Amino acid sequence: MKLTRRNFLAWAGLGAVGAVACEGFGIRKGELDIQSSVRQPEDLVRGTDNWYASLCRTCPSCEGIVIRVMEGRAKMVQGNPYYPTNQGKIHARCEAGLQALYHPDRIASPMRRSGPRGSGEFLPINWQPNGMDTLKSALQANGSSSVMITEPLRGHMAVLADKFAAAIGGERLGFEAIDNNTYRAAVKNVFQQDSLPDLDLENSKFILSFGADFLSTWVSPTRFSRGYGEFRQGEGRDRGMFYQIDSRFSMTAANADKWLPIRPGWEGHLALSLAQVIVSEGLQASGVDVDSLVGGSAGIQTLNTFRPEIVAPLAGLTSEMTGGDPVEFLKNLARGFAANQPSIAIGGGSAGAQSNGLFNLEAIYALNFLVGTAGKKGGVRFNPPSPWADVPSSTSVGSLDDWIRITEQIRSGQTKLLLLHGVDPVHGLPDSLQLRDAIAQSGDLMVVSFSPFLDDTSVMADLILPDRVSMEDWGDDISEPGPGYQVVGMQQPVVNPLFDLDPLSFPDVLLTMAQELGKESALPWASFKAMLREGSDALFNLNRGSIEASSADEFWNNMLRRGGWWDELHNGPTSVKPADGLLRTIANKAESPEFNGIGMGADSLYLVPFAHNTLLDGYNGHLPWLQSAPDPLSTVTWQTWAEISDSTADRLGVKEGDILRIESSKDSIRAVAYPSPAAPPNTISVPFGQGRKHGSDYATDRPGNESANVMDILETTTVDGTGSLAWAGTRVRVTKTGESVSISKLEGNVRSVEIGLLPGEEIIKTIAPDNA
Amino acid sequence: MLPLMVAGGVVTVIMGFVIVVLLISWFSNPPFGLGNAPPQPVAFPHTVHVAENNIQCEFCHRNVTKGAAATVPAVETCLFCHKDIDGGTVTAKAEIEKVRTAFETDTPINWERVHRLPDHVRFIHEAHIRYFTDEDIPVKYGINGEELTQTPDVAQTCTICHGDVANKIVVQPKTGQSLKMGTCVDCHRVNNVPTDCTVCHK
Repeated sequence: MKLTRRNFLAWAGLGAVGAVACEGFGIRKGELDIQSSVRQPEDLVRGTDNWYASLCRTCPSCEGIVIRVMEGRAKMVQGNPYYPTNQGKIHARCEAGLQALYHPDRIASPMRRSGPRGSGEFLPINWQPNGMDTLKSALQANGSSSVMITEPLRGHMAVLADKFAAAIGGERLGFEAIDNNTYRAAVKNVFQQDSLPDLDLENSKFILSFGADFLSTWVSPTRFSRGYGEFRQGEGRDRGMFYQIDSRFSMTAANADKWLPIRPGWEGHLALSLAQVIVSEGLQASGVDVDSLVGGSAGIQTLNTFRPEIVAPLAGLTSEMTGGDPVEFLKNLARGFAANQPSIAIGGGSAGAQSNGLFNLEAIYALNFLVGTAGKKGGVRFNPPSPWADVPSSTSVGSLDDWIRITEQIRSGQTKLLLLHGVDPVHGLPDSLQLRDAIAQSGDLMVVSFSPFLDDTSVMADLILPDRVSMEDWGDDISEPGPGYQVVGMQQPVVNPLFDLDPLSFPDVLLTMAQELGKESALPWASFKAMLREGSDALFNLNRGSIEASSADEFWNNMLRRGGWWDELHNGPTSVKPADGLLRTIANKAESPEFNGIGMGADSLYLVPFAHNTLLDGYNGHLPWLQSAPDPLSTVTWQTWAEISDSTADRLGVKEGDILRIESSKDSIRAVAYPSPAAPPNTISVPFGQGRKHGSDYATDRPGNESANVMDILETTTVDGTGSLAWAGTRVRVTKTGESVSISKLEGNVRSVEIGLLPGEEIIKTIAPDNA
Repeated sequence: MLPLMVAGGVVTVIMGFVIVVLLISWFSNPPFGLGNAPPQPVAFPHTVHVAENNIQCEFCHRNVTKGAAATVPAVETCLFCHKDIDGGTVTAKAEIEKVRTAFETDTPINWERVHRLPDHVRFIHEAHIRYFTDEDIPVKYGINGEELTQTPDVAQTCTICHGDVANKIVVQPKTGQSLKMGTCVDCHRVNNVPTDCTVCHK
């Protein structure tokens, strides 16, 4: 090529462009620098965090969470701001889910019993062949006489467990020590609804609650606390009025405008008394067909037997409690409840845990019809059925009658295989049922536990096949109670198990067994994830709801990313017609509460047990954060304490820290005395949840720990109509043991001192206006 | 004829330009096969520290068994020993003095990165070391498909990708070893571990 001026310029230009381009393709200076810090950082956080949406499994309300994961390890749990029920808020229980993941007492691998049953002696074995083959042989031999006891299951896990139990010819029962069967039955009888309703506290102006500690432990406390916050401080509204009628001064009672310490078991009578005032004074909401609701003149006559004049003394109301005439107090309460619309009546907890608990709750919830808020804004909001036709929207849990039957089946040898997952019925049932003895003495019985932790029941197992914990496994949930519309939550594994652990997913084990036993037709899924994915595809095909996607794959990913699927347009019924003569029907069921055992003598007290704020019924007893989380009122941690009134303490001559012996006709326990001016004089309150005998040190009753299980002394009285344990239906005698310990509580341990009085305190200074 | 020659010339020039760009982008980034050993602010001999004095890799690269990045040590870490150890040669004394000065003047040392993966790649040292040192995995293969007859320890695992750093006065990429995507995928395949895009790509 001839070198012309034109060619020279062309080549020079091309060269310049090439040089610039080549430089552009290179790495910028400084990008390859890697800097040594001067000091060795001890707490430097390296890596990038990822946040995964999932579900919390530390309590049955199953809140939506997001989990921070750094370099393969879960670090923190926060609320999922999108999840409809908790909307970014979480209970302290959720945060402690991390401790289940990293717990030092997790069972590392399958184990078989090597000593006498219940001795806690186990030898590690492999999943294959020992663990799975042993399970398969047991299912082949005794599947038809098996009982599977699980935690209350919802979503696809419930379907899988039920199908599996049916396929092997066995039975599955959900277990909850403090079950909601009576509440569920009341909702069914009063509102004809199969799933639990939402409580629209945020839009209510008057809350009337009987026994339900809904801000702390009852049903879905995070969702209710969120609503309560709006109820008190919501924008553009007045601060609502809130009455708590409860035989214990709970955290919910402490938040009420007025707490009425009713005599245990008379809540239903008091509710009907309020109904009587509303009806007799014509205070019902407009449009309410009182005649139909009450049941005509016969109903009015029946209702008149619940006049405040009659009920106030029965319910133990005194002028000291009510600040005046109790009868006038009840009348004014009824007027206030009817006048401040919308208002809502709630019942649960100890109100439903009496022999007449079903009557109590039915009477309470029927009040919502009188004020016209059943299904309406600010009242009881009903939930729609499940978006999947074959997946139930509510859980089913066995009653005490069921557990008495199962115990007898074990004792008689009729049940030969017991499969346990996520439950500790030996700890969670009254000791007088003697389930522990039945299991221990049944020679033909084989017990298989899928628990990742040892507890009072899994220690009785012949074979332990440890399940993954929730952060390592798949799952889903249909929120119960939902927020008034369809909600499906998704749980996804966010980490792999630690290297020295070898758990296998419980649902995957069931599916493997189903295939090996030739039950694929009933359980055709290759894995639980595949089953969930099928459910996801079904939701995608509905073509509605919160997740937008152009393909089933995209839908699945988006749903996992968001933590679930919901459809705000698919609501529950907004109008429910009460049965004719509902109030009369309920009133005709009225009974006095029944207290078996030691009787109503003057030396005995009502025992009002309550769910522990963080341990609940003991479900979380092995998690040290939750053991050390102070009770919201007493601030006690770790121990089993007994709340007694100051007057009872004076009578017994006890002071805080003295060890009490609490005795029923069944047994006795020890508890640390916590005298409180807020405890009603005729009651003693003890939390559930402590006093395991086996398993993690954090949960067990060690010497000097004063950890006792109040279940051990409960009478086996059942709730009429549901067969559930009437756990608030026990009377006890209380005596001093003469021993005393230092109670482990925060309250009173730190002096409150006015700022400026301590020497050397110079944090806050005041500048006089003249010098400013 | 002339226009055809001009067109051919233009095409040749463009092709040449493209090839040059590709070659530069391929070879210019360490550790892409050229065995580049960039100049470092302190002449740190791995031979003395590792081969002669048996200091473990993870003593300095503290995060290598814990997380994604191996990390370079803080200056303070060097001073754990070099507070007292001066070095045997004039050169060594001078280099150690640089480290002491950095510590005393509170000045970080900017090392030049020898091994670098693109920003869109996620590589976690901890997971790889955990895999190779796991005695429960019976058969494992190295980065070139060679079967590892014995389970390596952490230091031996490092050599699989980084070569015999312990015996190198100046650190440079493993000779003839390109840490490109093909290397990763080949190794994942032969070891029967996932090769999904999202395993490595962000």
